[in-house]
Amino acid sequence: MRSKLSFSFWFGAAVIGLVLLLALLSLVWTPYDVINLVDVGARLQSPSWQHLLGTDYLGRDVLSQIMVGARISILVAVVAIVLGVGLGVPLGLLAAAKGGWIDQCVMRGNDLVFAFPALILAILLTALLGPGVLNAIVAIGVFNIPVFARLTRGPALSLWSREFVLAARTAGKNKFRISLEHILPNISNLLVVNATIQFSLAIIAEAGLSYVGLGAQAPTPSWGRMLSESQTMISFAPWLALFPGGAIFLTVFALSLFGDGLRDFLDPKLGGMLDPKLGGTYPKNGGDKS
Amino acid sequence: MGNKALPVLLLLRLFVIGFWASAYAANTFADSLSSSSQSPENIINIGLQLEPPNLDPTQGAAAAVDEIVYANVFEGLTAVAADGSIVPKLAKRWEISEDGQRYRFFLQDSVTFHDGTSFDAQDVKFSLERASATDSTNAQKTLFEPIQSVTVVSPYVVDVKLKRAVGSFLTHLAWGDAVMVGSESAQNNAANPVGTGPFVFSRWRRGVSIELRLNTSYWGSPVYLHGVNFNIVPDPTAAFASLMAGDIDGFPGYPAPENIQQFRDHSNFNVIVGSTEGETVLAINNAAPALDDIRVRQALNYAIDKQAIIDGAMFGYGQPIGSHFPPHHPSYLDLSDRYEHDVAKARSLLEQAGYSQGLELSLKLPPPSYARRSGEIIAAQLGAIGVNVSIENLEWSQWLSQVFTNKNFELTIVAHTEPLDLDIYARENYYFNYQSAEYKSLIAQLSVASDLTQRDLLFKQAQRKLSDDAVNVFLFQLPKLGVWSKNVEGVWANSPVQANDLTAAERTYLDGAEKRFAASKLTSIVAWILGLGLLLGIAYLAYQAGAAFVLRRFATITVTMVIATMVIFTLVEIAPGDPAQFMMGLNAEPQALAALRSEMGLDRSVGQRYFSWVGGVLKGDFGTSFTYQSPVSELLAERLQVSLPLAIYSIVLAIMLAIPLGLVSALRRGTAVGDVIMGSTQLGIAMPNFWIAILLVLTLGSGLRWFPVGGFPGWEAGLLPALHALTLPALALAIPQAAILVRIVRSALLDTMAEDYIRTARAKGLSQSEALKSHALRNAAIPVLTILGLQFSFLLAGGIIIENVFYLPGLGRLVFQAILQRDLIVVESVVLVLAFATVMIAFIVDLAYVAVDPRLRNPGLT
Repeated sequence: MRSKLSFSFWFGAAVIGLVLLLALLSLVWTPYDVINLVDVGARLQSPSWQHLLGTDYLGRDVLSQIMVGARISILVAVVAIVLGVGLGVPLGLLAAAKGGWIDQCVMRGNDLVFAFPALILAILLTALLGPGVLNAIVAIGVFNIPVFARLTRGPALSLWSREFVLAARTAGKNKFRISLEHILPNISNLLVVNATIQFSLAIIAEAGLSYVGLGAQAPTPSWGRMLSESQTMISFAPWLALFPGGAIFLTVFALSLFGDGLRDFLDPKLGGMLDPKLGGTYPKNGGDKS
Repeated sequence: MGNKALPVLLLLRLFVIGFWASAYAANTFADSLSSSSQSPENIINIGLQLEPPNLDPTQGAAAAVDEIVYANVFEGLTAVAADGSIVPKLAKRWEISEDGQRYRFFLQDSVTFHDGTSFDAQDVKFSLERASATDSTNAQKTLFEPIQSVTVVSPYVVDVKLKRAVGSFLTHLAWGDAVMVGSESAQNNAANPVGTGPFVFSRWRRGVSIELRLNTSYWGSPVYLHGVNFNIVPDPTAAFASLMAGDIDGFPGYPAPENIQQFRDHSNFNVIVGSTEGETVLAINNAAPALDDIRVRQALNYAIDKQAIIDGAMFGYGQPIGSHFPPHHPSYLDLSDRYEHDVAKARSLLEQAGYSQGLELSLKLPPPSYARRSGEIIAAQLGAIGVNVSIENLEWSQWLSQVFTNKNFELTIVAHTEPLDLDIYARENYYFNYQSAEYKSLIAQLSVASDLTQRDLLFKQAQRKLSDDAVNVFLFQLPKLGVWSKNVEGVWANSPVQANDLTAAERTYLDGAEKRFAASKLTSIVAWILGLGLLLGIAYLAYQAGAAFVLRRFATITVTMVIATMVIFTLVEIAPGDPAQFMMGLNAEPQALAALRSEMGLDRSVGQRYFSWVGGVLKGDFGTSFTYQSPVSELLAERLQVSLPLAIYSIVLAIMLAIPLGLVSALRRGTAVGDVIMGSTQLGIAMPNFWIAILLVLTLGSGLRWFPVGGFPGWEAGLLPALHALTLPALALAIPQAAILVRIVRSALLDTMAEDYIRTARAKGLSQSEALKSHALRNAAIPVLTILGLQFSFLLAGGIIIENVFYLPGLGRLVFQAILQRDLIVVESVVLVLAFATVMIAFIVDLAYVAVDPRLRNPGLT
């Protein structure tokens, strides 16, 4: 029996939809031109009908910047997750299917990555590669590889001892086909749920990197950078800090509601085991050590 | 199993206390040994934006060095006075020969260096020859190049013979690069500067402050202050906060012009807006395609509205300029309207040059906020004439290597702060790539001219030439935004040199210069005992787990750490940027660079460097920091005193928040209270900790003024002030972690409460809360412990952003600064220490598991 999709799921989905919509809209239209419309005369205006969320110290419209910033946040998070899933899941499947030294290598490699505090290494990576959107994606994506490898390997290993897999082996299917046709479909729910969690963590990570100046570079607007730029002006222009921070918070919050709702819907029994706040490895904690 | 949970809880408790202890102990112990009884009354606290890489003004070009030691610690034969004029210092007078090639200096005869050795003609000879030697690492070597010989005539008379007459030789001798050093002490000036000035170097707390104290045997006229503490406050927000809080008496160069008006309105502050020698220019690569056409460069000049940049980027502070010359100099020629903002004219010039379709240019920006902010406005203004500018933000070291050294750029923005540096446009290999025989001849004439009228004329001709050729777009003279507490007098309004001459400064009245009390020896003894307790606790657990288990885990840890060292070393090895270049600064000479590189061991092979690094680490020697010139292990120890307590404080806060909330939400599951708690955890998890930090600053910090919003007074200021300063950062870190913990506590409790033994206990008649107390809590502690272990290592590292928000001198800030400064050895060490901490905490958590569940000793199950 499947449970119904909860209200909080729909709330989360609606907010995410709105953020996506604004991000897409920003490709064709924003209230004001963000990159080229520096209007020093209109700087530091508090929210008004003309500028719904006010303007910054260069006279740029905050709402427009948040819209474009959403694009960057989503882009970084999506690509980082695709990178993590794309490399991590095959590695996890391979480790589970082959066992032996391949498994050892994958798991020790995992241990190694987990031995480094993720944020420090992400900062180190972007600092070494140079700041920018692309390198932020790489730095965040790299940490998602072991997360997904680990997430895949555990359940995959237990599936390998199940009867239907045994049946498939006796039927002469090779390990590659079994992984693809039997193992993967059975863990896909788990992967989807965890992907939403990692997605929200990636958004926070991107904001953090931008905040310390290692993410998207000016004049490309980004939520984290808007926050750091506004910090000295907080006392006379608090809206500059409240709105971009609020945008990060709202998006992550919505993703978290969405992920919980999805998990409950896809498999109510997964409950505690898949608690997003446990499995999430980046950047809240160092991952679930087994 | 339940009875085995006790040691776990015990360990947890010991762990928390013990970590406090060991961090605290080292510091308080050291302090109690070295605590001075001097009253702090007449000591002034000054804020600086940039921490100097070292304290030797004759080695690096970093202006940050001069800002501290010039005139205060070191003195030259001549000096620059507040009005920019050249006055006698260690040379009380001099004679110049007719041909301008021989200088005879008569020295002050009662001068001693801070180490007690006397200053005489031999030291002059030593200092000047050291600066002009072929292997000299002086960044301004060209200043000394004209020196042919230095002869000691008598102990207090010295002759300097020049290869040719140099009109500005006395000015050059007044530069920070030309200060007098002692032959006995020069070697160690980087970390322990020994000069002849009114202040003696006392202490350098890396990342925090540099402290100078009165030189009681100073030869010159007595100074008013007993000491000066230069506090490093790079962050504009923290700068604001520390001034408001009275932690700092003044900022000679306040980093955030947006706050100046607030300080003007405030009755406790004086704002001194002066000028610097910093001509801020949009520098153009005159050899780049399109930009080699003067019409294009002129178009750029017409396109830019300087006043809009000054308003937008500098909040109105700054004076527009039209050439590379400071407006406060008598020979200044106002050319700021030479290219008045005119979009149509700019477009037509572009068209004439054949770029009617527009133009694509890159703009590489160094880190200072004036550059980053101006860059965005300039991009917009050039966009208006069809020049499409792509902005690239560089770190300082990248900027030095890409733009300054390799001239791989089209446009950049930077302030040239060296005084009277018109000659850079005549240099053969300078990054502007400006080549003009006419200009070179002007500078050549200027360098030999000593007649004032003639020099004035030449100065003006040179200014006009640069403007005519539109070499760069000259934007504005960088303002000196001094913010001083009203009780400080006698500080410089202008910066004729990059220095803070405090010989005339004084505090007129003293209020609240008090309250600091040395930490008692008792505290340090208690701290040691607690530290020992922690070790004993771990030893007990290890004993419980058995030798086989411990050895097996140790083997894994060793392998992980070996691979970790390789990964870290490789990553850092492939990093771009040359640390030597960074240390030497803008105008460093190639030979000086090479000399420094070999001194730093950068010319050794990769393998040699790896093994010497790892070998050193095993002996507890992490090497020597390139930029700080001090042992990395010392830096780590200093920073851990902040990061460890911060991590512990936030873990404690998180536990204090999470356990009761988790309990309530488990017991009141399904009720409104439970839902509200679970709902808030969702909110808590979704908030990035740096945003929480900003909200806390807005409310509890600058709003209600309950907590300081930045800075760290140090443990020697007392336990409470230190904890007070750490409260907001700890809270910002703790809230998201607490939100996670609440959920763990709740689900752990719900799981245990569903166990058979609880059902049995309930069936035996125990109430729910009794069952909870006597059975469930202990068992539920185990998953909580796991998460705590993970969170602790995260908090240790995760402080990096929070430490930056609150300006805390912790590991996070250390590694961040080290990355920016390309101080690779520090980066390697910090990451290694953090990796080691993570692995060790995992090990201790494992030990705790085994103590609870002996089945885990079986290797098959680990």
